[in-house]
Amino acid sequence: MFVCLLKVSICKHACPFFPPPLVGDIRTLQWDTDPSVLQLQADSEHGRRMQRLGASKITQVDFLPKEVVSYCKETQTPLTAHLSEEEEEEDEEMMEAKSGPESEQQDEDDNRENKEVLRELTEEERQQILHSSEFQSFFECSIRVMERALAEDSNIFFDYGGRELEDKEGDLGSGSSLSFSRLFYDEHWSKHRVITCLDWSLQYPELLVASYNNNEDAPHEPDGVALVWNIKFKKATPEYIFHCQSPVVSVGFIVLWDNRSHRRTPVQRTPLSAAAHTHPVYCVNVVGTQNANNLITVSTDGRMCSWSLDMLSQPQETMELVYNKSKPVAVTGMAFPTGDVNNYVVGSEEGTVYTASRHGSKAGICEMFEGHQGPVTGISCHSAVGTVDFSHLFITSSFDWTVKLWSTKHNKPLYSFEDNADYVYDVMWSPVHPAIFAAVDGMGRLDLWNLNNDTEVPTASVTIEGASALNRVRWSSGGKEVAVGDSEGRVWIYDTGEVQIHWREAQLSWWPSRWVHGNEKSHQ
Amino acid sequence: MDEYQAEEETAFVVEEVSKIIKESVEAAIGGNAYQHSRVNQWSTSVVEQCLSQLSKLGKPFKYIVTCIITQKNGAGLQTASTCFWDNSSDGSCAVRWENKSMYCIVNVFGLAL
Repeated sequence: MFVCLLKVSICKHACPFFPPPLVGDIRTLQWDTDPSVLQLQADSEHGRRMQRLGASKITQVDFLPKEVVSYCKETQTPLTAHLSEEEEEEDEEMMEAKSGPESEQQDEDDNRENKEVLRELTEEERQQILHSSEFQSFFECSIRVMERALAEDSNIFFDYGGRELEDKEGDLGSGSSLSFSRLFYDEHWSKHRVITCLDWSLQYPELLVASYNNNEDAPHEPDGVALVWNIKFKKATPEYIFHCQSPVVSVGFIVLWDNRSHRRTPVQRTPLSAAAHTHPVYCVNVVGTQNANNLITVSTDGRMCSWSLDMLSQPQETMELVYNKSKPVAVTGMAFPTGDVNNYVVGSEEGTVYTASRHGSKAGICEMFEGHQGPVTGISCHSAVGTVDFSHLFITSSFDWTVKLWSTKHNKPLYSFEDNADYVYDVMWSPVHPAIFAAVDGMGRLDLWNLNNDTEVPTASVTIEGASALNRVRWSSGGKEVAVGDSEGRVWIYDTGEVQIHWREAQLSWWPSRWVHGNEKSHQ
Repeated sequence: MDEYQAEEETAFVVEEVSKIIKESVEAAIGGNAYQHSRVNQWSTSVVEQCLSQLSKLGKPFKYIVTCIITQKNGAGLQTASTCFWDNSSDGSCAVRWENKSMYCIVNVFGLAL
């Protein structure tokens, strides 16, 4: 070791015989070795030392930029489509020019390449391929199929029509009951986020979209997240993940995400302008038919906007919802009766409910319904279609621990359901059964009320273990499942063992006599 | 046996160095928000603190300490580094620290004497 040090200093200096003592050095110096021997040893030791050196691993630090959202057109077509077209044209031109003189040479090269051994790709090339858009799109599609295949023990190529028939045969529902089916939770995206809205897809009834508020524990993650879950397959990860810069309070149309593009950020977005909404948009509804539809949104400052999905840069019409020409209504919930595109009901922060219409001589707020003692959290219009028209009935839930049943023809509630002991956060009629609705409250309770059975207590009730407050409840379009979102980012799916259609017809004739004429005895 | 002991005392211990870096960063910029006027003194104090703690370890190493403080403004950041050294005795340690308004990246390279 000592000799070693001596040699290093010798190599540095031109005169190797008496190297100066190194300042602050711990090791002692030896002087009795022949300089020439030292020189020889120096080289070999030095050489060995050099051979011991090698390259270390690369340490990298990577922080992703915040995606800046900016749009200057009303509709944004994907940029990559344009660019690739241009590139293709250019390539074609170049190919034609080169083809003449170089064709011979190219043939030779090709032959040579075929004879060459395939060389391994460098790290750079690998990364390039992995990040290319073709690979990304292929990968996105195939990982979904693979995940489903891995999670599923049944046939993943099963057919819709076949599945529905099977379910109906096995359904022994003789009333309403709640049984736990699934829990949707994503470690990365659902954690520490409150569920703000749920919606089932009309086109694919097994798809459910849930929107999430911001994650306060992770300030650099996007503020708003929407996940699309699939109840058909057993895989436990979301089908699609979408990000948004602001917390999402109602899903998913104020910002339009295009499933087909591979970006995870919104494709279109309404601008924040005085012409549209400047307050949080809590209610979003699509009304109309599949081909001719409008998006209606209402914000908490009482402004209602109607949008066309083709042009989100400005609303088609706006209206201030004002009752009796005084201050605007702070709307927290909105619902359209089935089949109606003009008249609707809204619930407000003050606890009052209003009917309103979009067009006509009485456009705007029509009537006021008083009854709740706290802000209205959820409002749902009767939706089951049958021989008798119940579309004038709607139910509301509120912070005052009650759910109330109303008719648009009377401005006092027809009935008040008072079985809850906490804020009732959401309520929704069953889309198929005329006497059933679901309600969720802040104690983690999911109630299923069947008005044919009992009006004092819910017919089926379940307190979801481990859940805190339940924020949203949504029936699937078939009425067989109920999706519940809680304040910790979890989506619970419950099967309701829904009754068959023919039962419904039998019940309808009995129902009106009990309710429509019951307003004199209505409870507050 | 002496050799082994000698090796432990003269090896680059990543955990130890990492701990020193984290303490220095916390002490220097702990609960502060990014301020351009003070960032200068923060980065120098981080580097000086790290270096003095490392030299107090008494190991026969040469140290190189770098510190990067970036404001969180939506920009992306990418750094990379690699070394040509003796992999058995030399080492490096990188610590990434962040709060709501800034990132701090400290790199320490230790080269055995």
